[in-house]
Amino acid sequence: MKPRESVGRLERSRSKWGWAFVAPGLVFFSVFSFYPMINAIWTSFFNKRLLSLKAPAFIGLQNYVRVLGSEDFWNSVRATGTFTIGVFVPLFMLSLLFAALVTSMKRGRRLVQTALYSPAVLSSVVAALIWLLMLDPRGLANQFVNWVAMTPGIDHRWLSDGRMVQISTMIVYVWKYLGYFTILFVTGIGKIPDSVIEAAMIDGAGPIRRFFSITLPLLRPTTVLVSVMIIIQCMKTFSTQYLFTQGGAPLAPVNVITLNIYNTAMRDLNIGKASVMSTLLFLFMLGLTWVQLRISRKNEAEL
Amino acid sequence: MRRPTRIEAVNIGASVIRATVLALACALVLVPLVFMLGASLMPAMDIMKMPYRWIPETWKPANFLRALAGNDGAWMYLRNILNSVIVSSSIAVSTVLLSSLVGYGLAKFHFRGRNIVFMAIMATMMIPFETVMIPLYLIIVKAGMQNTYAGLIVPFLMNAFGVFIMRQYLITFPSEMLDAARIDGCSEPRIFRDIVFRNSGPAAATLAVLAFRQQWDNLLWPLLVSQKEEMKTIPAYIVKFAAEKHADEGAMMAVAVIASLPVFVLFFSLSKYFLGGSAVYQAGKE
Repeated sequence: MKPRESVGRLERSRSKWGWAFVAPGLVFFSVFSFYPMINAIWTSFFNKRLLSLKAPAFIGLQNYVRVLGSEDFWNSVRATGTFTIGVFVPLFMLSLLFAALVTSMKRGRRLVQTALYSPAVLSSVVAALIWLLMLDPRGLANQFVNWVAMTPGIDHRWLSDGRMVQISTMIVYVWKYLGYFTILFVTGIGKIPDSVIEAAMIDGAGPIRRFFSITLPLLRPTTVLVSVMIIIQCMKTFSTQYLFTQGGAPLAPVNVITLNIYNTAMRDLNIGKASVMSTLLFLFMLGLTWVQLRISRKNEAEL
Repeated sequence: MRRPTRIEAVNIGASVIRATVLALACALVLVPLVFMLGASLMPAMDIMKMPYRWIPETWKPANFLRALAGNDGAWMYLRNILNSVIVSSSIAVSTVLLSSLVGYGLAKFHFRGRNIVFMAIMATMMIPFETVMIPLYLIIVKAGMQNTYAGLIVPFLMNAFGVFIMRQYLITFPSEMLDAARIDGCSEPRIFRDIVFRNSGPAAATLAVLAFRQQWDNLLWPLLVSQKEEMKTIPAYIVKFAAEKHADEGAMMAVAVIASLPVFVLFFSLSKYFLGGSAVYQAGKE
């Protein structure tokens, strides 16, 4: 046998094994990711209802017209947007601040990180449940705020006032994810070479100047990553809002898009309409990923 | 002893401020956890008392009994905890196993279309679960897997992120070792089992912890597929328990403590993999 032929055969057998190892993934993702995705888009053009015996009829863009024209949908978009911004700003700033403080510590880093991270260990439902009790009119939150602001006996209506319910859900989220994103920032700051920071120190830059002129620009890959992660997390929030509304909070101010999809499908049984919202959510997330890719490419080009 | 110079004095001042800010932040962050622990041992009346007592005045460990027995005395929580353990650990195992299988195929074999396969799998990361949950639910209904473990587990058997991590990890695996085994006449499945899988410990552990926690936390999917009480998981039980009339606040916190114990034990014994998870994620994204 010529050596060349045997190499070819070897290659072919190797490539067969490659397919064999990849096959379970191909099957799984086709059935549980691609098919449902296509199905969701497909269904959004039909007047499909759950538990209905009638065959769903093709109705073109009618579901889209109905959803985009409904106050309910735009309310959900507003609720999700408000939530995302209301979580993003404090969460981003606080975790960056704490990461900067933690990395400049000499001792006790691990202890602080563990303490800040511990709420992230809880499941979302447990986190929401703890706050549900603390935000009760007779609960700890009122007592604490009244103690700090010296306004005894005022009920801040954490779970009954529309605006306050929104703020309450944001508090739960910021509290739960603070430590997680602090650690991401700590890791990011750790990757900045010490020599750069030492050089700035020798040049006489103070800690605040160093942070804004050296650390922050060099941290850009991490800040982009954290921003996108927070936004995506917030857009998909469900448990907190679900538990709060089940516990008696008003639905409309916290009727985020995922909660609306769930209710439209499972309570109103209107699968067509739910699929429209699902598709729109997907398109939005796709756009977000595209923006992220563009920014990270630009970063690579600059570095 | 010499007096501190001006710069040293500023530094000392700065570190005092820093320590105070961080200590205050840690204390505030830990308040709800302390509240949960304390309240789980108090009678409901005391939890809503003003001013709040951090250390219980009257102890009421019976809260835990109530939490496990449920308001109807059906002891459903025990069953639901068992369900969570079964579902989360099966998913952790299968995620590690299948992801390393596919990741190995993508990392160490050259075949036509490999890049397309890789890109296609990565693309599924962009699909939010909320978008596909209803079609998935309809698949499960059609397969008759409502209210079964299979229905709870199957859609999460593996995920793109796992494939990605395992591929990145295995790309650096020395190919010479694999070739040496091949020359010794080792079959490909055995190479995978005895050489590759044996040596992917750290990445596999991180992935397992990640997958376990994700499922332990999952509320949306069990809410869809498990209508029967005995097939619910912990998050779904908590929602039901909290929304019931006459739910006792102390018992609610006992439910919460019980649900959190396993993850906290996991966290303190495997904190390397918890905190490592975020590092892996970051490394992967860059």
